[in-house]
Amino acid sequence: MRFPSAEWIDAVAEQAAADSDELARLGFCNLRLMLAVNATPTGDRYLGLVLDGYDVTSAGEVDPATWDADCTLEGPFGAWVDMISNIREHGRADLGHTLNALTLAEFPMRVTADDPMGRDLFFRYNETLQEVFDRAARVPVDLEPAAV
Amino acid sequence: MAAPTVDWDYVERAKSGELDLRWLREWNSEWGVKATPSRVGLTMRDIAIGSYGEIPETAPRRTMAPRGSEVDADVPDMGYTLNSKTDVWADNVMDLYEEGVSRQWSATRDIPWSEIPEIDPDLEHAMCQLCTLLSEVEMIASDFPAKWMWRINHDYVEAKMFLATQIMDEARHTEVFRKRALANGGGLGKAKAVTESFLKLVLDAENYAQGSALMHILGEGLVLSLFRAGELISPSPVEKKIFRLCMQDEARHVAYGTMHLRYALAEDPDRIEEFHQYLDGGEEMISALFATPEVVEPIAVLAAGSVDGAAVMGGQAADMLLGRVIEEYLQRCDRAGIDRRSRIKIPDVLGNYDAAALGVTSDAAVSGLN
Repeated sequence: MRFPSAEWIDAVAEQAAADSDELARLGFCNLRLMLAVNATPTGDRYLGLVLDGYDVTSAGEVDPATWDADCTLEGPFGAWVDMISNIREHGRADLGHTLNALTLAEFPMRVTADDPMGRDLFFRYNETLQEVFDRAARVPVDLEPAAV
Repeated sequence: MAAPTVDWDYVERAKSGELDLRWLREWNSEWGVKATPSRVGLTMRDIAIGSYGEIPETAPRRTMAPRGSEVDADVPDMGYTLNSKTDVWADNVMDLYEEGVSRQWSATRDIPWSEIPEIDPDLEHAMCQLCTLLSEVEMIASDFPAKWMWRINHDYVEAKMFLATQIMDEARHTEVFRKRALANGGGLGKAKAVTESFLKLVLDAENYAQGSALMHILGEGLVLSLFRAGELISPSPVEKKIFRLCMQDEARHVAYGTMHLRYALAEDPDRIEEFHQYLDGGEEMISALFATPEVVEPIAVLAAGSVDGAAVMGGQAADMLLGRVIEEYLQRCDRAGIDRRSRIKIPDVLGNYDAAALGVTSDAAVSGLN
């Protein structure tokens, strides 16, 4: 499967669901996170991830105009590819490729929200989010840019 | 008030099988109000139903009687001084309590202490100095709510319960940073008077509102950013996990403080100057903190990966961090309903940065650490 795609975020959520007991030990969450993958060969693309209680579900590809997100994890296609490649190479994000490390300086990625309370949810559930994204290590993916 | 006496007549009647049962027959509470559990279980918000969910603007009594219970007329006065909803309430406090309980962790069990690698002595010193600072400052966020909690009227018990989770969180933070300082042979570093002065400002706050504004929004907002920075510059996955877990807790406390201030100001907008003055003093103290070598330089050394690199790249990283601290703090103030942008006391010279232009990236920050 390709990145970004509904299939990819579906597969990551399925991997998280498969480890639901392990993730549940971190506590429950309440977050609608949008993944904004900017400047792909087919333009900006948006995926939705929902952490509801102890459940992690995919919203697939979403329309940013209508999908109500608490916050958005945003970055250029290359930064996403770098992060996913790193997770797949190491089995989990290394020191320089955790979600927090990639977003703290707002470069190369950043967390945005209309409401700072929504942005702070990214911090409140950060350990769970990192564990979910680390599950991308188990998702086969083609990271080459899709032909236009 | 006279001490309660034993009703011996009742004792004799009960022994002979003549029960009182007025508690059963004269039940005036809401019979039939039945709470339904939500997806994560039966939460405090789930049971905030009927009259039990009505939070009084002003508490009618000063007792520990559960809100909604039938209370004897002659209950003693517990001496509470925070008897108004605006004193302590936040609209998210029930949810934050539940989240705090759900997301507890153990500094003993959940950190893989045996996996800390041997690192360069300068980096170990820097990590230990950072941990000394954090172990020092975190306990204020236990001490301050503990100092005020018994004064909070029991009708706002959800706020007290949330503060109890915060007290546990901060005890664990003090624990985990003390443990990290001692876990790899470095030990504790220096504790500075300027740090203690800020802690004293919070602890000696004249009222809960002042202390909460200083601690929940300014102090914990700063520490939340420090935890984010700590995660970025951690020399191993062990410290990464410590900082991520602490970050989660701290963000809950900031969320309470932000929404508490918002509630207080929405109910009484005339208090805004009072809060401005609290934050004026706190910001001046924070400025002094960020001009303290023991606070700034360990972050710079860890970010640069060496003492030699700290003067250039590490300084930029420290500027980047402070820039994030200030901006996120100002955004939270905006959300709370208090505009600090035109009044902030932290000098412009602190926190000016352009991450991309300076090359402060996550990769750069951990170069030499991987």
